[in-house]
Amino acid sequence: MTSNRTFQIFLGLYISIFFLYLFGPLIIMSVTAFNSAEFPSITPWECFSFRWFNEGKIAYDGQRLAGLAADRDLHVGLITSLFIALGVVTLSVPIGMSAAIVLTQVHSKLRTLFYSMSIMPVLFPGVVIGISTVVLWDRIATIGGEGIISELGRNGIFLTILGQTCFISTYCFLIFVARLQRFDTTQEEAALDLGASQTQVFMKILIPYLMPAIGSSAVIAFLASFENYNTTVFSILSEQTLTTVIATKVRLGISPAISALAFVIICMTLIAAVLYEFFRRRQEKKKAVESAAKMYKEISSDRLKEDSKKAFTLPKSIFVILFIFLMAILGWQQIIKNNLYGGECIAKAEDAKKSNFADQLKLLQNNADTLESEGGDGGTGSTNEYNDIFGDPNLFKNFGGFDN
Amino acid sequence: MSADVELQGVSIAFGDFYAAKNVNVKIEAGEFFSFLGPSGCGKTTLLRAVSGFLEPSEGKVLIGGQNMSGIGPNKRPTSLIFQNLALFPLMSVADNIAFSLEVRGVSKQARRKRADELLDLVALNGQGDKKVHELSGGQKQRVAIARALAVEPEVLLLDEPLSALDLKLRQKMRTELRAIQQRVGITFIYITHDQGEALTMSDRVGVMNDGQLEQVGSCYEVYQAPSTPFVATFVGENNAFSGKVEKVSKGIAQVNVDGTSFSGSIGKTTVGDPHPVGVGDDVMIFVRPESLSLAKGTKAPKNKFSADIETIEFEGNLKNIYLKSSKNKSIRFSVPSVFDTSELIPGSTIELSFSAESAIVLPSGPLALD
Amino acid sequence: MSGFFKKNGSIISTFFLIAITFWLIFLILIPQLYMLDLSFRPNLPPLLRGGPDDVYTLTHYKHFVFGSETSKDAYNYVDIGVFVDTIGTAILVTIINLCFCYPIAFYIAKLATPNATRLLILALIIPFWINELLRSFAIRILFAGEGVINNLLLEMGLLDAAVNFIALDVALYTGLTYAYILLMIFPLYNALETLDTNQLEAAKDLGSSTLRTHWRIVIPHAKAGIASGSTMVFMLTAGALATPVVLSSPNTFWFTQLIYQWFNMNDNWSRGSAYSIILLVVSVAFVLLMMRIFRVTIGEVVR
Repeated sequence: MTSNRTFQIFLGLYISIFFLYLFGPLIIMSVTAFNSAEFPSITPWECFSFRWFNEGKIAYDGQRLAGLAADRDLHVGLITSLFIALGVVTLSVPIGMSAAIVLTQVHSKLRTLFYSMSIMPVLFPGVVIGISTVVLWDRIATIGGEGIISELGRNGIFLTILGQTCFISTYCFLIFVARLQRFDTTQEEAALDLGASQTQVFMKILIPYLMPAIGSSAVIAFLASFENYNTTVFSILSEQTLTTVIATKVRLGISPAISALAFVIICMTLIAAVLYEFFRRRQEKKKAVESAAKMYKEISSDRLKEDSKKAFTLPKSIFVILFIFLMAILGWQQIIKNNLYGGECIAKAEDAKKSNFADQLKLLQNNADTLESEGGDGGTGSTNEYNDIFGDPNLFKNFGGFDN
Repeated sequence: MSADVELQGVSIAFGDFYAAKNVNVKIEAGEFFSFLGPSGCGKTTLLRAVSGFLEPSEGKVLIGGQNMSGIGPNKRPTSLIFQNLALFPLMSVADNIAFSLEVRGVSKQARRKRADELLDLVALNGQGDKKVHELSGGQKQRVAIARALAVEPEVLLLDEPLSALDLKLRQKMRTELRAIQQRVGITFIYITHDQGEALTMSDRVGVMNDGQLEQVGSCYEVYQAPSTPFVATFVGENNAFSGKVEKVSKGIAQVNVDGTSFSGSIGKTTVGDPHPVGVGDDVMIFVRPESLSLAKGTKAPKNKFSADIETIEFEGNLKNIYLKSSKNKSIRFSVPSVFDTSELIPGSTIELSFSAESAIVLPSGPLALD
Repeated sequence: MSGFFKKNGSIISTFFLIAITFWLIFLILIPQLYMLDLSFRPNLPPLLRGGPDDVYTLTHYKHFVFGSETSKDAYNYVDIGVFVDTIGTAILVTIINLCFCYPIAFYIAKLATPNATRLLILALIIPFWINELLRSFAIRILFAGEGVINNLLLEMGLLDAAVNFIALDVALYTGLTYAYILLMIFPLYNALETLDTNQLEAAKDLGSSTLRTHWRIVIPHAKAGIASGSTMVFMLTAGALATPVVLSSPNTFWFTQLIYQWFNMNDNWSRGSAYSIILLVVSVAFVLLMMRIFRVTIGEVVR
């Protein structure tokens, strides 16, 4: 069946390309984090170094390209992001839960309307939600005069929490709705019949049942808040979150420090994924053992006795890990051999660049003068504007940008 | 402590549909009372009204003489055992049982003690720490009962609790339930569609059909002296002949069934008086299968008819002989299986007879569907 | 209402009511209504708002269509151009995404073994736990003038000079398609999974070619998934900010960037609001259109 065979091959190829497309950029980005060159690249490979994780360097145009450990903005942004995420979780999970519970209690005509309204935020573009929040609270702050209202209304963290809660509550809502669908309502009735008050029914029966949903919606809310950009960039005003810091960095100074950050995040994600898979497999195994034991008890015959002595089977993934390890060792040996690692290498590269630098400085001066003489008008709708907004491209000449 | 339950003129309507119509019954304290009827007859609805999940549209529910109107299920002195048991899956057996104490703020020690007592009562000693899903069907049943009894309710309501169990287990649980009730002494209100259950366990039975309470009485009364054709055909098997009354005298009515005259005793109404049947009325005459006998010899009872044997069925302790009368009516004739039926060959015609005392005449009405 | 309070107890009921009102009215409805209102007002400094100059006006919307009073063009070609460009690109990206993801979703749903399915799904999810900005950044590294692809091609001798991928929008398209793959695959996967494999086998048995099987059987079944995925991808692409910011060139400008500009650069919040409303209306219109074409309800569209 040749057509089937070619189909298989074609499919396999397609899938490989697909996943290459998916993971390729990330892998490449991770590798660039270790190249000491100032613009993230693989070729030419300057030196293997950890500098972008640590102190970074001062570029010759005076711009400070900080490494992860040294970047203060990044740290502030990270903490702000965490704080906001916590705030969002605290609000969204109860809101989503309340909405889901009430959904099950209203009758059908009201139900569709209620459901549609709850879903709406997901259909709004994130920027719209951010803008509307800022705009509304600005007005409230103006009307509210001096005092806490006006302070809150202009506080980026407060606004971002509100804006994100708007649509993240919908995610929580959906998770709770799914969980509630399989809830056996006679349990509530039984509890009532046994003398529990309404509040007790809620706390002792419903909440324990919803615990998994509470957990997963909290996690989803946290992650969604943490990585949000569209809404945050409008509502954050004068503060910074991790994502806005990254965005600023990307616009103003591309450096492998961002690759380093990405690499750290990728590693954390992979670890989380591996842990998750590990726990899941363990739970599955536990369940299988339990059900086997139960079956054994019920049948109680010798025929089903399992052998206690099972050979220890190696998981196939061991080979993959070994392979990667081997490659890493080989690569490392290469690097050491070619003297691509360590202070020596970096010093050599710096010297080479210093001679380049003097020429570049002159070029920059010229460009800066020409730009000033042209001037920029504050008009709108003209093409020139767009360049100014996203960073002077001249700054990147020969450092990895493009001419117009 | 047990209480009596009284339903006065209770009707429950859902829009235009009446699930229960004008139900009047007084269930005595300490009694094992069953509501018996086919699916959809309204018995579950009545139970929910007594337990407080529904308010009757008309009439009153009184428990221990007190009007329960407006009082929620958590405030009534009743406990309900649901059809699906509704045990709490996230709690252990002991926690399930002690739940009603927990919500009343009883201390952990006292709760544990009471749970152990109840586990002992339902013969589940030592199973307290297990999770609900680890138990078998019968064990879950007993946990449900123990849970319901924990706060010593005055009335225990049971919604077809045995329907999910297999036959042998069901029979065992019937005896157990009865024993528990007598030991604990509280009022049991039990609903079921299985008349065998109702008859073996109850002190009294209320037969329901289509929202109406047709008859209330002891098991014996309901079986031997049904008040309506529905009760006559729902409880146990019964042969029904329709006809017109020819003569009435001294509690015996002579009925013309398709040309033949049969005599039967006039049945009693729910309040105990004989039905007022008169000459010319449309009536039905009911004869139990076991009340039929082969017409042999001269000293035969008065009512005689002939029928063709169709099949003979062996049901363990009984043999059921299915016949067709000359007027094409299905007849069922039952004899103990030790009875020698070698002469009864399918296809042959035999003569059957019954006594007037064993037959009941009732005004025509709807029968129970098979 | 009284039944509601009775059912949940007074404390819990009040809690529910407060939470839900806060969310639906205060976080969802009122901000949008206020923004809508603001879009019709002139751009006044904070103190003058609410005063006599604050009248309803259509100037911002007019500006979108006709341009400023000082310009000589009949219409605001630039802004409208940006708008059309954004929507058009979004539609194109959606279609590309759909074609690209369909085989994979089909493979995972139907042809892979259960173990492979789980691993593949995990493999799909992992890239998306990484921030959109960083992912777009990765694409930028690849496509930049001194980026990996250019360097590679130069060294291999296939190119003489670096190709400006970014200006050619190749980077942007790649980046945008990349960003929302997950949101297209999952609805497709969910919809395809419910398809009874026996139907496919029956079709093959009756002599249908693979193409026809897909066109007549699989695709109609996956209608809801296609609608859902396309809607999400379109909405997120049209409203995207992160990826265009990272991958933008002088030739491409995204509508959201325009909104950003009005807000933060020119401090004209009313105009920014107006443009936001335009974006919002298009978004919602698209959703409704998809729902009508594919005949799905709103509940099926959202994940």
